[in-house]
Amino acid sequence: MRIQLYKFGNILLSRESGREALLAFQSTFPPLKKTESLEIDFDDLGTLTPSWADEFLTPLAREIGPRLVLLPSKNLSVTTTIDVLEKSNKMRFNWNE
Amino acid sequence: MKLIMAETLLTIREAAKRLCVSIDTLRRWDRSGKLVAVRKPGGVHRFYQASDLDIFTNDLAALAYNWAVAGGAVVPDYYCSNSGQFQARLNRLQHDVQTSNGFDSSLVALIIGIAGEIGNNSFDHNLGKWPGMPGTFFAHDGFRRFVVLADRGIGILASLQRVRPSLSTSRDALFVAFSEVISGRSPEARGNGLKFVRQAVIQNPFSLVFQSGDTQLQLKQGDTKLQLTKTAKVVPGCYALIYY
Repeated sequence: MRIQLYKFGNILLSRESGREALLAFQSTFPPLKKTESLEIDFDDLGTLTPSWADEFLTPLAREIGPRLVLLPSKNLSVTTTIDVLEKSNKMRFNWNE
Repeated sequence: MKLIMAETLLTIREAAKRLCVSIDTLRRWDRSGKLVAVRKPGGVHRFYQASDLDIFTNDLAALAYNWAVAGGAVVPDYYCSNSGQFQARLNRLQHDVQTSNGFDSSLVALIIGIAGEIGNNSFDHNLGKWPGMPGTFFAHDGFRRFVVLADRGIGILASLQRVRPSLSTSRDALFVAFSEVISGRSPEARGNGLKFVRQAVIQNPFSLVFQSGDTQLQLKQGDTKLQLTKTAKVVPGCYALIYY
């Protein structure tokens, strides 16, 4: 399954809206099958920030581990945010390089 | 009103875009004398000398700083009373930076992220406890390429003391805020916004001045350590000046 993050907004900022996005995702998308991966597509996104991503991506990564797959992105706010979250939370995201 | 033969004149639309304010605001400022327009001999349309705008925008960062220190009235164009308004202005900033000439577009997302995390902190950390005027000062100078934000909130030290009572100076609080994952809203997990700001600044052609209390932090591309200096004036909340 693939999530296109731009559909949650162009500037993804604040923990509050990150939590809202996760709730919306969980109530809208069908449950993942046991071996299915969840791809995060950053194309067409304006800005990602750690406050938003820590409420959306971090819980998903903790729940399904490496089956959460980040698709490549050249957006510097995406790469910087993921780097900061990895250091802060002492975890690694699974990039599909 | 001034009547002069000017060197380079900008139309009111051009001036509004450069100052990131509305045309109506410029008309109001002209009437009040805050920023006086010029007229061509016999003309009725407002024009602006580039040098007048330079002087005016030079004052923008000082305007924010003085408000952060002493409070008082804020120009509505530069004031966000709530986070929704801040988010809307952030969208406008994104558009303005994207359309500015000669700027590396790949850096736009980072500018927005830096300004977004700093501004959003103002609202999150002061929700329900603004000691003074709620909201943020938020202005952009597209010509000089800076964004300035300020708030009259409780500041970094008071915010972090809730979870780390041993902190006793603004210097220590700023150091912790930009270095460690610590949240002023514990037990809620937070605290990586300013680490994002630090990383984005030191890895890119940006610079940052950030003050809270009596301590100012200066950061620029390539810095490996935080440079903290004591200031004569105290900012009770936070002040941030981001050059890009």
